Amino acid sequence: MIASFRAENLKTRKRWANWILVGILLAWILLLTYLVLFLVVTLSPRSIQGPVPATLLKRRLFPENFVPTVLGASATIGAAIMLIFGALSTASEFGWLTVQTILIQKPTRAAVLGGKFVTLGVATLLVTAVMFAAAALASYAAVTLDGSSSAWPTWEVMLKAFGALLLELAVWTAFGAFLGIAFRSAAAAIGGGLTYLFVGEALLGGFLRNTAVVKEILKFLPGINGGAINAAFPSTIRDSSATTQLVSAGRGVLTLLVYLVVFTGVSLLIFQRRDVGGS
Amino acid sequence: MAQALAVETHGLTKRYSTGVLAVNNLDLRVRAGEVYGFLGPNGAGKTTTLRMLSGLLHPTAGTAIVAGSAPGSPASLARMGAMVETPAFYPYLSGRDNLRVVARYAGVRKSRIEPVLKQVDLTDRARHKFKTYSTGMKQRLGVAAALLKGPDLLILDEPTSGLDPQGTIEMRALIKELKQGGRTVLLSSHLLNEVELTCDRVGVIAKGKLVAEGTVDELRARSGGIALLIRATPLDQARQLLESLLKPEQIRVEDGALVLSVDPTQAASINRRLVADGLDVSELRVSEQSLEDVFLQLTETPKT
Repeated sequence: MIASFRAENLKTRKRWANWILVGILLAWILLLTYLVLFLVVTLSPRSIQGPVPATLLKRRLFPENFVPTVLGASATIGAAIMLIFGALSTASEFGWLTVQTILIQKPTRAAVLGGKFVTLGVATLLVTAVMFAAAALASYAAVTLDGSSSAWPTWEVMLKAFGALLLELAVWTAFGAFLGIAFRSAAAAIGGGLTYLFVGEALLGGFLRNTAVVKEILKFLPGINGGAINAAFPSTIRDSSATTQLVSAGRGVLTLLVYLVVFTGVSLLIFQRRDVGGS
Repeated sequence: MAQALAVETHGLTKRYSTGVLAVNNLDLRVRAGEVYGFLGPNGAGKTTTLRMLSGLLHPTAGTAIVAGSAPGSPASLARMGAMVETPAFYPYLSGRDNLRVVARYAGVRKSRIEPVLKQVDLTDRARHKFKTYSTGMKQRLGVAAALLKGPDLLILDEPTSGLDPQGTIEMRALIKELKQGGRTVLLSSHLLNEVELTCDRVGVIAKGKLVAEGTVDELRARSGGIALLIRATPLDQARQLLESLLKPEQIRVEDGALVLSVDPTQAASINRRLVADGLDVSELRVSEQSLEDVFLQLTETPKT
């Protein structure tokens, strides 16, 4: 598996598409999450309409709230980016037929996929670190520019939040990788994955949340469970419009761990058994 | 002592989930150190067989031993290099980086990359991205990747496919060079002259079954081998006369000439009979059957 990991590492590093995805993620956090909101609440506070006044809203950008802010980004753009990353990593091998080039080298299929998943795991860890660092840096810049003071969360909270973010992103990466192997097409995997993320889960979780049957189903979905984990790291700004969580954070962690194992295991099962090429 | 086999299959069969029987009870024996041509028309089952030998497809039935081990096992893969169907590489990586990726998977030292690039004459373009390569360069990179491990067995599927005449000649020369040092080459092709020019032995596959195996000369001999070609007018009258002398299956008409599957020593007596019956004989010569004729006969493909 080490040989496979080394090869995957080289491919992943040299692929521009991966760096573009990281760039989009960073741009989203730094520009849209922090800069735009900072400029609006600083330069035009009266334009803010809503239950939270602009002066208070600004505190969302400060260090005291960087954990819920970065976790909030992971639930939307982070999930989408990592899903695309995972899907590209596996589906492209089928699109380019490189899967057959790989499989006629020495490692077993299990070792090949194992190396790929370890690489995806390492990449997810690095992306998590980058997201955390970017958000922390932006928070520091916001509070410094504003001339205010704000306390950083404790190391314990930050470590737990880092673990939570890593777990959530890892699940979406594994989901993308699984879809890539199942569909053997990047377009189908990404299209299907994003449709589920933004239409399926978001619609069910948004509009039909209070339907009894749907509520029971929602308790098992990765996005809902990720949301429950994120809610364990509340913002200092009380938002009356926030929805109540369907599951506890502990159950959320457990459910996401099960998803991680299932996506990895089923991917391996399919990859191990399925013919490569032919009709 | 029996010659060692690089590839041996018994009753190898592949039926796809669509119901298509691509390979049917195939018994194949490729001897160590030979260039074996796996010949057959498109759709005959060549690539499916090579995929099974490489471990990419799971056979429906039958067994195979490739380079001493089960197909697709690390032991087998370590001793074989293959290019199946099409050279498949990462378009965003250079030729050299693609070989680095392959070398890492194969557990081969980086120092092997430059010699194989040189062997396939790609050193100058190695830093360019794979997506910018011509078909010929892609094929050569495919061969380079197959050679990285310094394999005992090399499996090449249609290696001259899509190449221009010059590229085809170069690839043929490369294949002959690859045979040096006792390496076994299993070469699949639907191009007859390619097989004729490069292979020691040939296996002909049609509709998933091996219909003949041997040297090119053996195959010629088995399917009539040498024939007598006669141009005589009127053709119909000549044919009627010959049908009274020979069995009908010994006579066929090709391009306005009569082709007789007979011993060439009968040429003089046949000529005498034709002339005695008042026929004009404008050509009479011994004709060696081309591999194409043999191929068409074995695969039952009508000649166009």
